[in-house]
Amino acid sequence: MEELAIALTFGVLQGSVYSLVALGIVLVYRVSGVFNFAQAEFGTTGLFGAYIAVVLWEWPFYLGLLFGLVVAIVMGLLTERLVIHPLRNQSKVTLLVGTAGVALTVIGIQFWQFNDPLIRQLPKISDAVYVTPFGAPIMAQQLITLAVLIVAAAALAVFLKSPAGLAMQAAQQEPVACELVGVSVRRVSMMTWGIAALLGGLAGVLSGAYTIFTAGFLTFGVGKALLPGFIAAVLAGMKSMPGAVAGGLVVGIVEQFGGLKMFGDVPGASALLLLVFLVVVLLLRPQGLLVRKATA
Amino acid sequence: MALLEVKDLVVGYDAFPVLHGINFSVEEGELCVLLGLNGAGKTTTVSTIAGMLKPQSGSMTFDGKELKKGSPSARVAGGISLCPEGRRVFPRLSVRQNLRLGSWVRRKESKTVRRQLELVYDYFPRLAEREGQLAGTLSGGEQQMLAVARAMMSKPRLLLIDEASLGLSPTLARTVWEVTKRIKADGTTVLMVEQNAGALPYADRALIMEKGTLVYTGVGDEIRDVNLREAYLGV
Repeated sequence: MEELAIALTFGVLQGSVYSLVALGIVLVYRVSGVFNFAQAEFGTTGLFGAYIAVVLWEWPFYLGLLFGLVVAIVMGLLTERLVIHPLRNQSKVTLLVGTAGVALTVIGIQFWQFNDPLIRQLPKISDAVYVTPFGAPIMAQQLITLAVLIVAAAALAVFLKSPAGLAMQAAQQEPVACELVGVSVRRVSMMTWGIAALLGGLAGVLSGAYTIFTAGFLTFGVGKALLPGFIAAVLAGMKSMPGAVAGGLVVGIVEQFGGLKMFGDVPGASALLLLVFLVVVLLLRPQGLLVRKATA
Repeated sequence: MALLEVKDLVVGYDAFPVLHGINFSVEEGELCVLLGLNGAGKTTTVSTIAGMLKPQSGSMTFDGKELKKGSPSARVAGGISLCPEGRRVFPRLSVRQNLRLGSWVRRKESKTVRRQLELVYDYFPRLAEREGQLAGTLSGGEQQMLAVARAMMSKPRLLLIDEASLGLSPTLARTVWEVTKRIKADGTTVLMVEQNAGALPYADRALIMEKGTLVYTGVGDEIRDVNLREAYLGV
């Protein structure tokens, strides 16, 4: 029972990183119809930005974190301007490959510029560690990430009900009509990629401090969150924001359950369990979690 | 001075010309009907006025100012609103959300937005009854009403309506035309594109197009002349 509670706790905490990544993936998909492979790299780039400002340039800590988020947003805006907009009339596969190209290019630059030393560390917001009643040590930084996820998801929900948020949804549904009511679809697209990159940046800047990091940290490094983020987004039917949050947390929990003693002899149990879970959910609820079946 | 003046307008898609230098004007407070068969160039005309297409040559003036290069967004902000062919409502947004987006250029003028919302609900009470319903689940006629209402939410001086009666029953088409007449009576100038000659009785001015040229312009009672309808429209 204790083991289960520990797995549940760690799952929710790790899942909050996946949820932040999944929110960005779903947001971009809903507005641009693009499967964004660069979403996790927005986070790693933001993390490197914060590291440069805080550690190398010795800026005040919070200013440095803010700089990291700005770097992530700039990367999101540049991706929209230099890759997504020029390719907007191409197939979805071309756009997907375009975003994968962005991720690989940025990872290459990270390896090139930050090769010596390869392993780096960003200070945490708080070094405090708490021990839960069932003996699980929890970093304050992980609780901060969870709190940031809750605030970010609530802010996003409010934003999507605002005129600008409605414009975002409308731009995907009827771009021509959107222009005809006076909304610039181009600006909406820029705004969407900027917000998605901010969400990725939050994931990177916060989870990057859990431990050490290298180039490609959130894509395939220690903090890998791209694949779990995608699975969470698929669980959300690629359109539900609450679904993306829930999906990320569930993915985190299922992953942790793979580490239970009962799976001790199965190599790669976490990944296997996660994929089995994904298949089962898609069979039972193909529309995704927290998504109603389409009625129109 | 006419509210809208179009001079020698030439528009084409790449090298293929669609409008061959048309001239017409619409006076302030008028309801003008632009009639023609399929392919006559009616939609191209209103799309160009709304900023969706760029003219190859010619000029357009609105309220005395030349409409130069500009996006549809800029035209809406300037007082020209187009209700497009095919309705193009936002299907996964509610009726009310569609209307809120219609007032995008006036989103900071909350009193104006509220007044426009009351006005369009008065024009189309059915929309008020269904304001929480997703637009994609409305009937074709209701979607057409929503498209006209959404275009009115920006409080335009010139409302362009493209083929409002397309796909509607004669009764519903008459309902939409009646509302268009009320919109005009309330002070908005209307340029309505139609294939259906049934719209003629509502018009102060009629323009008839054929193959990218304007073949007839008339005002007042003469446009309700039976011979005119036979000669140009075959009805």
